Amino acid sequence: MKLQEIADKLELERLTPVFDKDVTGVYISDMVSDVIANAKAGNLLVTVQVHANALAAANLVDVCGIVVAQGKKPADDVIKMAVKAEVAIFSTALSRWQVATKLYEAGLR
Amino acid sequence: MSDARTPRYELADVQPGYVIIEREMHSSAARSYFCAEPVPPKEPYREGKQVWSFWEMAQSFRFSVRDNQTGEVVKFDELLGLLYYACCDHESDLYRIGELAVGNRIFIYVALTYEAPDGSRLNISLDKLAILNRAFNERLRTANKKILILPDYFGLYKEMSYGQIMLDFGLTAMEEKAESPQ
Repeated sequence: MKLQEIADKLELERLTPVFDKDVTGVYISDMVSDVIANAKAGNLLVTVQVHANALAAANLVDVCGIVVAQGKKPADDVIKMAVKAEVAIFSTALSRWQVATKLYEAGLR
Repeated sequence: MSDARTPRYELADVQPGYVIIEREMHSSAARSYFCAEPVPPKEPYREGKQVWSFWEMAQSFRFSVRDNQTGEVVKFDELLGLLYYACCDHESDLYRIGELAVGNRIFIYVALTYEAPDGSRLNISLDKLAILNRAFNERLRTANKKILILPDYFGLYKEMSYGQIMLDFGLTAMEEKAESPQ
């Protein structure tokens, strides 16, 4: 499933361009070390973490995008970093649990 | 015959724990180490004339890299964490080099190591960094993207704050802290 399709289905707010990437799965975590150790390339990361290091970890393991839940938004410098790394960032007022259920309903496993 | 889907290198023996940062009472020198204990020690202790006390901690993990072709397992116990070039001072050499590299879809990280008891930095060999680079690059799916993990030839450890490294500060600390550890 394409990132754009997920963004449309969940009505996510786009904070960066939506890069043409396939979503291979979902990883939910607020820990940088956990993302580095366990997230898979192509995963969509769902988090409330907006620190630059979250983007650094996401880029390191090649996640396809980041959904920042609970209405949080990264600072402008983090968004610029994400654009350079071609890691799309979305924001939503939904909780991580609500995002997870909607992603499941959208067909992601 | 090896399975084409199985990466040659992969993270192994992933051990969650804490990076403990301690400070010397008189000189304010700081040093860090990895602790896998469920409850990290926080009592001050004496080491010669020096008195070291707990300052801050962050959740992290320690790992090895396994070579699935040879079965060799390489430990990375000396690795404190990785620092993404873009999290550095924009006037620094690393940032400028990182920006050049991004133009070629190469993303630079610097491997920072723990301090030895005498305050010097532990060494991480280029051979081990080559393995680490292979392990992370094998995980990538995006075409033409490369990760380049460099040794700290920039002397970043002298000026960086622990908060710049990819560690999980603030998730476990129970103490009130007015400033981030330097």
